[in-house]
Amino acid sequence: MNTKSYFFQSFAIVALAFVAFIGFKQILPNKLFSDSKLDSKSVLIDSLLLESVANDSLSLDADSAGTNEAKLGKQKIVFEDNEGIEFPAETFDDYKGYQYLISFYEKLYQLEKNPQNKVRIAYYGDSMTDGDLIVQDVRASYQERFGGNGVGFVSIISESSASRGSVKTLYSKNWKIQSYLNVKKPISPFGVNGHVFFANEKNNATWVQYEAGLNKYSTSLDNPTLFYGRSSKKGNVNFIIGKDTLRKNLSPNNLVNSLKVTSGSIKSFKANFIQADSIPIYGFNFDNGVGVHVDNFSQRGNSGLPISMFDANVMQAFHNSLKYDLIILHYGTNVLNYGTKNYSWYQKGMTKTVNKIKESFPGVSILIISTADKSTKYDLEMKTDSAVVPLMNAQKKYALDTESGFVSLYTLMGGDGSMVKWVEEVPAKANKDYTHFNQRGAKAIGKLLYGQLNKGYEEYKVLREKRSADVSKRRTSKKTNADSVSVKNDSV
Amino acid sequence: MITIERINNWFIENFGAITTEQVKGWFVYNPDEKLLFNTGLFLGLFLVFYFVYGFLRKTFYLRLTYVILFSLFFYYKSSGIYFLLLLLSSVVDYGLSQIIYKEKKDSVKKIYLVISVILNLGLLGYFKYMNFMIGTYNDMFNGHYAFHDIFLPVGISFYTFQSMSYIIEIYREEIKPTKNYIEYLFFVSFFPQLVAGPIVRAKDFLPQIYQKLNLTKQDVNNALFLIIGGLIKKTVISNYISVNFVDRVFDTPMTYTSFENLMASYGYAIQIYCDFSGYSDMAIGVALLLGFKLPVNFRTPYKSTSITDFWRRWHISLSTWLKDFLYISIGGNREGSFVGYLFPSLFFFGILLWGITSYNTSIIPLIVASVSILLFCLSFLLSGKRKQTLVTNLNLFTTMLLGGLWHGAGAQFIIWGALHGLALAVHKIFIELFPSKKETKINFLWRFFSIAITFHFVVFCWIFFRARDFDTALQVINNIGQLTFEPQQWQIIALGYKNVFLLMLFGYVWHFLPERFTNGMKSVFDKTPLLIKAIILGFVYWIVYATAIAGSQPFIYFQF
Repeated sequence: MNTKSYFFQSFAIVALAFVAFIGFKQILPNKLFSDSKLDSKSVLIDSLLLESVANDSLSLDADSAGTNEAKLGKQKIVFEDNEGIEFPAETFDDYKGYQYLISFYEKLYQLEKNPQNKVRIAYYGDSMTDGDLIVQDVRASYQERFGGNGVGFVSIISESSASRGSVKTLYSKNWKIQSYLNVKKPISPFGVNGHVFFANEKNNATWVQYEAGLNKYSTSLDNPTLFYGRSSKKGNVNFIIGKDTLRKNLSPNNLVNSLKVTSGSIKSFKANFIQADSIPIYGFNFDNGVGVHVDNFSQRGNSGLPISMFDANVMQAFHNSLKYDLIILHYGTNVLNYGTKNYSWYQKGMTKTVNKIKESFPGVSILIISTADKSTKYDLEMKTDSAVVPLMNAQKKYALDTESGFVSLYTLMGGDGSMVKWVEEVPAKANKDYTHFNQRGAKAIGKLLYGQLNKGYEEYKVLREKRSADVSKRRTSKKTNADSVSVKNDSV
Repeated sequence: MITIERINNWFIENFGAITTEQVKGWFVYNPDEKLLFNTGLFLGLFLVFYFVYGFLRKTFYLRLTYVILFSLFFYYKSSGIYFLLLLLSSVVDYGLSQIIYKEKKDSVKKIYLVISVILNLGLLGYFKYMNFMIGTYNDMFNGHYAFHDIFLPVGISFYTFQSMSYIIEIYREEIKPTKNYIEYLFFVSFFPQLVAGPIVRAKDFLPQIYQKLNLTKQDVNNALFLIIGGLIKKTVISNYISVNFVDRVFDTPMTYTSFENLMASYGYAIQIYCDFSGYSDMAIGVALLLGFKLPVNFRTPYKSTSITDFWRRWHISLSTWLKDFLYISIGGNREGSFVGYLFPSLFFFGILLWGITSYNTSIIPLIVASVSILLFCLSFLLSGKRKQTLVTNLNLFTTMLLGGLWHGAGAQFIIWGALHGLALAVHKIFIELFPSKKETKINFLWRFFSIAITFHFVVFCWIFFRARDFDTALQVINNIGQLTFEPQQWQIIALGYKNVFLLMLFGYVWHFLPERFTNGMKSVFDKTPLLIKAIILGFVYWIVYATAIAGSQPFIYFQF
């Protein structure tokens, strides 16, 4: 056996290996794992987004957008008064657009005066709000202050039913589902939730069962009401509450029909659909009729573009019975991963979406929530993805253009590099995909969102107070043109 | 012509310009950048350290002091100012061990031993379990004690156990104390095993200090082979699958399908093995390069044919430590003790309480609690030597409960320990009732069957180990319970996570390769010339680098 000391050789190997590494680094490619492109058929992403990306890959150069933004940022945005109320001017950089939420704020004000009133919010989102994350916290904040019980409108089922804690859903596997995410011409129009369901099977019962969760203000199912659409055939549904079975007829005569399961609050019930195969079924609404209600319409993989395919007549029919006061559009996560920094195509598409919302819910305030921060690895470090700020700016632009309120979630959560902090904090507030929040983080985001909305409301109340003082002083009333904006160029 | 400028340019091109700020970063503690064996910084520092070490090989105290200084610096880079804690506890332990050694009276000796054990466990307890205890107290009695802002010094669980082994072995007169403090500090602070084990025993390590330092060619071959394997296991397999798959599923199990949950559980099993054993292998390899032989820590544990076998192959340095100093101290298989009765009783009382309180929502907890108590009772009632088996099982169960808690402060670690403790008891009674199934005399089919059962039981327990809390663990288990046979869906998922699943497969194939095969690879490696070895090692460095630089896979939602 060789017992001679081997220290020199040992050191030589480690040192030479270091040299070899430098060599390998120069000749070998930088990446060990290929970024495999997935077959788009197997991934949940909306088809309109894929089309827009494909159409737009040849569009304008990205650089010109940057210089415009710098100029735009300092531009002053002056609001014209609405019913005698005018929020102070803002710059594009810190645009919030409270002015355009006045009709919502007024409804809140009326509710605060008279607790028998009600206010309803529709919260459209993507996987960020899956499982009622964020939305349940916004809902709880509003219900805490203004009253109201119930989780609002719930789709029959969704991919995230299992992860939703605010209402528990069990269901049979035989529902036929069409989603605005990947179906362009549904058999019957989509509901306010963007889906339409059919209890299709002849032999086996198609059923869904709901049980109230443990969240504050949602510990019971209040006035559960079924919403379904128009069809030439009639059908039946059995509602099973405890040991009782109520058999009801579905008469699908109107564009949107509703059927109350029972009045009052129950803990759980099951709905068994019998011979209802051609009737479009949308979901159940749970609310106690007073206070604030927030509907969560989340859909994984959604960019927001599919909303532009909504049937405005059907939406108006929903609006007539549910009476919305604010529509929130919270999107962006799904358009970050396409290697582009020019989002003019998305701005264009989302303008269409917002216009569709305006057509569907006339006179209702609209709030755009921007993408959150998201990190990507550059060299060896996780940093804010370079597409985040351009996307956020595009979202701000269509918010401004369509006269909608705006929340920059990216700025709100801390701006540049904040996602890395949220993930690495102990206890963590976001997941290791550096994109999604966990329960704890969602709670924080919900609080931040409510905080910004509420700040606008408090300002509104002050302005309103001032107006009534002014009016009583001058005793003059003049007509104002509602909802318009002018952008003045600041010459400095 | 080669000019200084050209060398400089080449240097900047390959390494980037080096600023004073960066140089400072190499030597100053940064909580976000720990000095791990798989970092470039460690490689650079080690090269310089090792060069000088080679020249000091014939000296004794100079060499020890040199290594101690590097170890303290290494620890400072991982835990900042807490390297003073390491120094402080080593001074106290050294002092106590001297007193115990010199003391003649057994009773006085024992008092000093108890003092040192309390001090060591108290230190560990404060840093590791204080907030857990406050949280548990608050939950149970609606208390409102604020959490302490405690930094957990890296490796405190390891070096505390190591210095305890020194004192207990002196007390048991198994070893003689070191001649002076320097030698003792060298043993406690030796950087290769300082932060993540293996837990080196004084009686194995101390004699090596006094031997003439020697490094043979075979030692270096062994060391390089271990380091290469460790680097691949830790930085390639473990890191990649955790960031890109396992962590995500365990973050929000309910947003993933049953199949993804199942694969994440298998993924975590190979991840934790590769992470832990990979780091151990690197530690053993680095120590070997310095001329010190540390004990083997993992012997392909998932090849175990029983849970008893598993604990002879998994984290061996910890399980032997627990056996020698905890299990035997509380009575082993000889006698019962207060501690041996206390912890199992508390545990079984606790789960029974859980079963009863959650009876209104679900009967399952009560069933689980009753079955586990029944199993534990059967494990000694069915035995021929009831009294002795009862004592043994109680002590074993206590060891596993506390061993579970050693891994982390949390209820899920206790559950993990309890599951293993229960399984060990069940396996023992099984062998007693069916002696024909002893490991040495089983046929191929039975062997395959027992490996599969053992592996799946271990994976099941890992779910508790990995999950953020008890509820998350139940969600994962529930979700896997709803798995249905849908090969098409599985195929889509497998394609979506192609890289992750391939690495998992690679990890498992490597793990289950017959020993003959790995030995063959080793002997081929041994025979290659020095230069080729260096190139292989360099290539592995590159793989580590290329994996580290790979961005994380964007999240995917599937549709089926």
